[in-house]
Amino acid sequence: MSDAISVAGLVKAYGRTRALDGLDLTVRTGEVHGFLGPNGAGKSTTIRILLGLARADAGSVRLLGGDPWREAAELHRRLAYVPGDVTLWPDLSGGEVIDLLGRLRGGLDRGRRNDLLDRFGLDPRKKGRAYSKGNRQKVALVAALASDAELLLLDEPTSGLDPLMEETFREIVREERRRGDRTVLLSSHVLSEVEALCDRVTIIRDGRAVESGTLAGLRHLTRTTVHAELDRPAEGLAGLPGVHDLRAEDGRVRFDVDADALGAALRSLTAAGVRTLDSRPPTLEELFLRHYEGGRRAEAVR
Amino acid sequence: MSGTGTLVRLALRRERAVAPWWFLLLVALSLAMVGYINRNMGTYELKLAYTDVVRRYAFFRALGGGVVEPRLEVLATWRSGGFLYVINAFAALMTVVRHTRREEDAGRTELVRAGVVGRRAPLGAALLVAGATSLTGGALTAAALLAAGLEPVGTLAYGAAVVVAGWVFAGVAAVAAQLARDARTATVIGLYALGLAYVLRYAADASDRPWLKALSPLGWSHLVDAYRDERWWLLGVSTLAAGALCAVAYALLGRRDLGSGLLPERPGKEEAPGLRGPVSLAWRLHRGLLLKWAAGTAAFAAVGGAMGPLAKDVLARPSVVVTNITTLLGVPAADALDGYMWYYLLILAYGIALYPVLMIMRLRAEETSGRADHVQSTPLTRVRWAAGHLAVAALGTVALLALAALVFSAVYAALLGDLAGTAPRFLAAALSQAPAAWCVGAVCLTAYGLLPRASVPLCWAAWVLTALLGQVVAPFYGVWGGTPFEPFHYLPNIMAGQAFGTAPELTLLALTAALTAGGLFALRRRDVG
Repeated sequence: MSDAISVAGLVKAYGRTRALDGLDLTVRTGEVHGFLGPNGAGKSTTIRILLGLARADAGSVRLLGGDPWREAAELHRRLAYVPGDVTLWPDLSGGEVIDLLGRLRGGLDRGRRNDLLDRFGLDPRKKGRAYSKGNRQKVALVAALASDAELLLLDEPTSGLDPLMEETFREIVREERRRGDRTVLLSSHVLSEVEALCDRVTIIRDGRAVESGTLAGLRHLTRTTVHAELDRPAEGLAGLPGVHDLRAEDGRVRFDVDADALGAALRSLTAAGVRTLDSRPPTLEELFLRHYEGGRRAEAVR
Repeated sequence: MSGTGTLVRLALRRERAVAPWWFLLLVALSLAMVGYINRNMGTYELKLAYTDVVRRYAFFRALGGGVVEPRLEVLATWRSGGFLYVINAFAALMTVVRHTRREEDAGRTELVRAGVVGRRAPLGAALLVAGATSLTGGALTAAALLAAGLEPVGTLAYGAAVVVAGWVFAGVAAVAAQLARDARTATVIGLYALGLAYVLRYAADASDRPWLKALSPLGWSHLVDAYRDERWWLLGVSTLAAGALCAVAYALLGRRDLGSGLLPERPGKEEAPGLRGPVSLAWRLHRGLLLKWAAGTAAFAAVGGAMGPLAKDVLARPSVVVTNITTLLGVPAADALDGYMWYYLLILAYGIALYPVLMIMRLRAEETSGRADHVQSTPLTRVRWAAGHLAVAALGTVALLALAALVFSAVYAALLGDLAGTAPRFLAAALSQAPAAWCVGAVCLTAYGLLPRASVPLCWAAWVLTALLGQVVAPFYGVWGGTPFEPFHYLPNIMAGQAFGTAPELTLLALTAALTAGGLFALRRRDVG
């Protein structure tokens, strides 16, 4: 079995709005998969369908080799979930919630539970209504991470955490990744987090996947930004296929170049005598914004 | 206080769905009483006979509060007055808590207060809206009674007494909202105050101690004595008390942080060794509700038992009241006492039928709050999750009915003897009503499964219709014996010698099972959340 999650052509409509419109998503076993998209793109809807809380209108969904709608209970033995907006029972303490969810999942590791409480600095005796958003999120995180689940579905798990706790969360996910037998689907719009943790990412917009692959692979598809200081003007650079947005003044050049044209562009630069060179692969943020703003522009034209 | 105007408009917008129902209840109840008196005590002689009986027994005097005279005005308001004051007070209390503490709990006050809104504005807006709601409730009642042809000056005094009862308890709720850490606790504090006020007023009338009545805010409204003395100045006492309570609430508001209360919060447990399945979870979440219901049920049942000697005495002498009661109960005069006990038990049972309905609404609240999602992401199936709640609801209903029977018979037997004879009969009668109460809950579950978004109003409608169409309320609008559109109708009166109804019981059980299965099946097939 190689894929923990495989989704193809997934459609979910609420009334006239199509929350998901032919989504494809593949998460391989043992990887940390980033699930990126702006608010309202359909991330949470996808996760609710993966959990069997909502039923797909069309398309195929396989989760850990089963059908999440029909075999929800059996599959839930093997997964743990952290919702994006954690609400707790006002009368139950955090410790009680962690124990309850752990036990419903078939037992939790007490040593690990207490270790996680320590690392997140969470007081388990407080009642649900007394926790802040971040602390409610920690309760759900401890409950999920203390379980022995093969698959973790995390819906924007750090949106309420402070930077220190975010770092703790990253450390823990990295430890999980090292163990190698846990798969993580991490929905987020904190791009640095995804860049730091994920093996592969899927970017969705308007209920559809617009990009999917390894970070390196995605970067390969897009342009590198090059800044250079040259001895003399670079002849023919402007004419090279794959070079875009060239600006040159006072012996400095700046341009974007497609991955497969990078070699030719660099040859043209060395011929002109390179004094300084700075080349930067696109950040995930740029990738993301390109898709997002592209969509917005397209909408504006419409 | 800046921003109060905007917040008032917001609150009024949200009250559109709630306040009209309170108005309807007040007006309907006051008119129903006028109709009831006109129908059953059309002549002066009948009124006089009725008045004589009431005057003879402290319990009856206490029920309506104050002195009765054989006049339509006095009799009608005597019968409904106590309830109208309580209803308007209850409505004001809930309105204030809804717009103060509940908003704060939800974090919406924080959002609002970050704008150009004074610290006092949210409380001020809530009090204004609650005050206006109380005023409208009293005014509409008075208008309805005027239209029914009651004497105008007394009617004004009566309407005003209804208004100020609401005002005082709006003030009580404002204080409670500052003390408590959350809306539920604030409501409970307010209800304790209301209950205490009722008990004080009742005890005062039952024992003829006017000073006790003067301690109760509800008593002040009674003491206005509409249609008789019309002590207008007492309206001022209530208004001043309401103002003082509001001043206390504002002072307390200045001493606490937003979102905190003045009563300390106890820490919870660090671990939960007992929480391991759907039933234990449902029990842990909803045991507080059941305990509150048990306390209320026990109190009402004890009152019923305590009325035993009175009922025995009244029913032993022929009078217009006895004829009324035996007609109402549909039993021969010889069985009137058993009939009374069955009727009292029915009142409790119609009330207890609300308990499973509330439990279904809690199921829905678990879902909409997102808390059900946590549990649903574990191997616990949806049906088992709901079944845990249903088990607590079903057994809780039976426990409440049994408790009502046992407390009633214990108090009854302590006064009249014969525990061994009363308790088993009463217990059997109470338990025979369980399938009907379950059936009401099962209708709600079906609504919850099929139409989750509309389920809360549908649940309320199911219970309100059961009560309105039932044998207890229907006689008040002239339909003796109730209507066949609610499940309690089909239960034979086994206290007064009718045979145990195997067929209706089994039919109700089968219907309950079918509705429950249908609701769960629908729940399994739909989206959650």
